[in-house]
Amino acid sequence: MNVLDELADSIGQLGSSNRVIELTKEAIAEGLPATDIVEKGIRKGLDYVGQQFEHNTYFLAELLYGAELTNEALEVLRPQMEGSNTKPRARIVLGTVKGDMHDIGKNIFKSLAMASGFKVKDLGVDVEADTFVENVAREEPEILAMSALLTTTVPEMKVVVDSLRKAGLRDRVKIILGGNAVSREFGRSVEADAVALTAVEGVEICKKWTGKSD
Amino acid sequence: MTPRERYRETINFRQPDEIPWIDHFETEGIVRWIKEGLPIDRIIAIGSEVSCGGALLGSGLSMSGFDLSSYFGSIPMVGHFLPIDIGPIPRFKEGTVREDEKYVDTITEIGSITRRRRGSLTYSMPMFVDHPVKDRESWEEYKRRLNPLDPRRYPKDWHKDSYLRYCEEYQKGPIQVAVTGLYGFGMQLMGIERFNVAFYRDPELVEDMANYWEFFTVEALRDAVTTLRDGIDQVFWWEDMASRHGPNISPRLYKRYLLNHYKRVTGFLRKNKIDRIMMDSDGNMNPLLDLISESGITGLWPLEVNAGMDAIAIRKNYGDKFYLGGNLDKARIARGGEEMRDEIDSKISILREMGGYCAGVDHVVPSDVSLEKFMEYADYLRKKRGFEGKSFPSGSHF
Repeated sequence: MNVLDELADSIGQLGSSNRVIELTKEAIAEGLPATDIVEKGIRKGLDYVGQQFEHNTYFLAELLYGAELTNEALEVLRPQMEGSNTKPRARIVLGTVKGDMHDIGKNIFKSLAMASGFKVKDLGVDVEADTFVENVAREEPEILAMSALLTTTVPEMKVVVDSLRKAGLRDRVKIILGGNAVSREFGRSVEADAVALTAVEGVEICKKWTGKSD
Repeated sequence: MTPRERYRETINFRQPDEIPWIDHFETEGIVRWIKEGLPIDRIIAIGSEVSCGGALLGSGLSMSGFDLSSYFGSIPMVGHFLPIDIGPIPRFKEGTVREDEKYVDTITEIGSITRRRRGSLTYSMPMFVDHPVKDRESWEEYKRRLNPLDPRRYPKDWHKDSYLRYCEEYQKGPIQVAVTGLYGFGMQLMGIERFNVAFYRDPELVEDMANYWEFFTVEALRDAVTTLRDGIDQVFWWEDMASRHGPNISPRLYKRYLLNHYKRVTGFLRKNKIDRIMMDSDGNMNPLLDLISESGITGLWPLEVNAGMDAIAIRKNYGDKFYLGGNLDKARIARGGEEMRDEIDSKISILREMGGYCAGVDHVVPSDVSLEKFMEYADYLRKKRGFEGKSFPSGSHF
């Protein structure tokens, strides 16, 4: 097994953090290109974690730990990545809608999306519709991701979509909705582009949109 | 039957006169309904106490909250909780730890830091920004507040004979003791993310927390449990260990870290003739149900429809291993009309025949249900809960 396979395996099988860092350093020492280390090692491992989550073999604890391992490996690799011409897969503006202070699902999505190569601008929780609109105008992201946990805050997603439309920005960005209170039916009713029932599904949809699904 | 008798008959798979109705209400919803015409003077609950929390020698009567169960005719799900303090002693002193023009961060009595929007309703759910336990050192520090034998865990008026009498006489709902399950315990102290990752990063810490949780739970409850025994109708086991997708921890982790501790705690309860133990967990618990049953838990609530929980399927698959509560889809109830009636019709008659079921929405009634829709639902449910000439099944169906 080469070092990249070992790295992928170590993340996918939820090995120790020390081992993942050690393998990442080993891959760098072998002179492997940063893009290969990311694609054939780190992301391959994370994708395995995501698949196991979708198949109900892994659960939240495994997903969170897998994302942490991935981000630790990427941190080790950061100097190499900055030196190479690695471009983000796409840009995502992310936030929990106004009135909703929940951030766990949003944070998991963020970790997975970043580990999957997206550049994420996280607006935090309790985000006003105008703030979403301003950031879509300024950052020109390919994707806007919104989260809501409460049934009482879900309607705010419609406010954001309508505000984007009013600002003439709706067609410039794909909109994905997530969070416990969001249903596919609701997503259709507000003309979002997708609803994700889990963070893993959300990232997979974003990958498909950007034409680089693994 | 009294509400308590009805509840007890049901959860023990015997013969109630009608299905108990156990809806539970959140403050935001109650405030909404008051604005929509719910008569406030008929829902105020009055409690008595020595005046000003004991500061003055006088018998006082004051508002202790809202009592919607008496108004609507449901059974208060909380019934009477034996007031055994299973929180940290001493408490953390509540107060503001930081604030800016938009948010206020507050330390809670258990030591978490929560954030609220300035001026927001104080009873709405806040964001948790920090938790008291982060590692072994902070856990050891926190443990000092969790001495199960601290005499302050029992109320000042803990006179066993008078409590025995009180519990015999109380009929408004079930007599309960509360247990915070190990997952709920860890999650509250460390936060969801840190506690979940700790199963992998620091399994020794989780193991130590598990051992201590078992010791703490049994010893804190021992006096009440051994005194009242089956005078306690139900143990309310709070856990909240799942989301819509599934449980937060895998069956493998449950088996390794929780199962044996749970068996010993439920074994202690069972030895004292308490075997009605209801787990409160949102989300999709299906992948864990075998292990939950093996752990000695015997009841499930709220069975969230949105998360794929199906009371009828659980009854078919698990027989009388679990009594059940909730499972009426709150979203369909909120929409009212035909959809609400269909939700009730498709479940109640079947579950009524199967037994061991307490009716209610699949969690606390949310604040997006209008008073009008709730009244419509309550009226319809009232008609459907009775046995109306049907002979109640004798013994178990299974």
